Amino acid sequence: MNEPARLDMRDTDPARSASTPAAVPAARPASIAKLRAPLPRRQQLALALVTSTAVVALWEAAVRTGWLNETYCPSPSTIVATLWRMVTQEHFLTDIAISNARVWGAFLLSAAMAIPLGILMSSYRSLGAALEPIVDFIRYLPVPALVPLSIIWFGVGEETKLFLLWLGTFFQLILLVIDDMNRVPQEYIEVAATVGAQAPQILRDVALRAMLPSLLNNLRITLGWCWTYLILAEIVAADDGIGFVIWSARRFMRTPEVMAGVVAIGLIGLVTDQLLRLLHRRAFRYL
Amino acid sequence: MRPPYLAFEQVTKRFGELDVVAPPFSFEIGQKEFVVFLGPSGCGKTTLMRMIGGLESLSSGAIMLHGVPLGPPDRRRGMVFQSYSSFPWLTVSSNIDFGMRYRNDLSKEEKRERREHYLEMVGLADFGEAFPNKLSGGMRQRIAIARALASGSEILLMDEPFGALDALRRERLQVELRRIQKEDAKTVVFVTHDVEEAVFLADRIVVFSKRPARILSVVDVAGTLGTERSLKVRDSDAFFRLRSRVLHMIRESAGETE
Repeated sequence: MNEPARLDMRDTDPARSASTPAAVPAARPASIAKLRAPLPRRQQLALALVTSTAVVALWEAAVRTGWLNETYCPSPSTIVATLWRMVTQEHFLTDIAISNARVWGAFLLSAAMAIPLGILMSSYRSLGAALEPIVDFIRYLPVPALVPLSIIWFGVGEETKLFLLWLGTFFQLILLVIDDMNRVPQEYIEVAATVGAQAPQILRDVALRAMLPSLLNNLRITLGWCWTYLILAEIVAADDGIGFVIWSARRFMRTPEVMAGVVAIGLIGLVTDQLLRLLHRRAFRYL
Repeated sequence: MRPPYLAFEQVTKRFGELDVVAPPFSFEIGQKEFVVFLGPSGCGKTTLMRMIGGLESLSSGAIMLHGVPLGPPDRRRGMVFQSYSSFPWLTVSSNIDFGMRYRNDLSKEEKRERREHYLEMVGLADFGEAFPNKLSGGMRQRIAIARALASGSEILLMDEPFGALDALRRERLQVELRRIQKEDAKTVVFVTHDVEEAVFLADRIVVFSKRPARILSVVDVAGTLGTERSLKVRDSDAFFRLRSRVLHMIRESAGETE
């Protein structure tokens, strides 16, 4: 009477063993205990602050003692002073605004095209099969290789910048969206179908919503690439924007201004990234 | 003559070179009946159940509801999966609302009433505002059941829904599922490989062979144990005898093919 009533054919099923994790040993060996050990948020902040400050301080000292030549590598204090002067007296804020507008314009265009197309390519295998070779081909082209062609096609106006940025992000983003969509559990889609949702409703109300957290992460990463291509575009074909300011400063060996431009890009990246992370935490509290 | 409520008619399934269901499968299920498909994993029982839901294609034959062939998925046939399929971005209440999202025949007020009704029925009335990730596996399966019921499904298709739960929770949900099925007058097709679960829940058990799926036997549980299933039934001699009978049936079939 005591024999198990459960057929043991299913016991090796990965789905089952994944949902019933093995007991965690109470004490791990000391050498392993440190791997991935949690770190309190305040400690994280403190560590980040200490290392950043140390790097800046060392750099400042190296210049002040004459170990680094100021003409080639100005000190952090000089860079900050230059940046301040550029912002307050030389319309650098306008250039920052122009560069930001270019990045966001091209980025939003890419996203608005890649998100629906990626979802459709993942959902309808025939569409995916038809378009994937083209996407993969263009995806591997280095954007700089297309700068001459872009100038022949579009001249040196805004179109060229938009085109280069779009080119650098759209095809990469499609692939990321397809991957996000592939990871939406089949059960979600089938549940929606069995409560009466039609294909467009399933994609919009369930698939898109389910992939949103990972999609926002991928968008955040893609936005960073946009800046790379922007500076490239502004160096070869622009008369305003951060890239243009950096490039013209170089012609007169005004190293502090070149570095101030670089620092500005870094700061914009840092702030944007933190804001998007904050949005992610706020919007996806349920995770 | 009135057609049967739900009928498999000469259904087969081939997947490439692989026979999943053969010889042709025919079986009739009555309205409000609780039928369990029991068999070793990979035997094709889940495929047959998913065919009712329109989630799996048939190689030949047809599945009829009231004598009319069933087509693509719609809300007459609701699914409850083994994995937790409640949407993590929606609260418990909103998950249940999702079952009614595409129903234009209900007013806002009616939807609210139905939501409260089914929250109460599955015992989640106090957890309406909670997010699924904060709840136990058992509670998440309650959400999935309530969502399917709220959508208005007349047939509930359940694919090992309690497979990932611990013994105590599984037992409790089994008792409640029987109660809910009677209360809400649903037809249930329930897939499992757990003999004890099958005997406790079923009105009838269809015992399947290893793949390709064919019927080894149909066990009339309701005829032996009746339709009332409390925990007391679990301790009765009749229950144990039936369980052994089904178990032996499966062992013999495994022995003859291995």
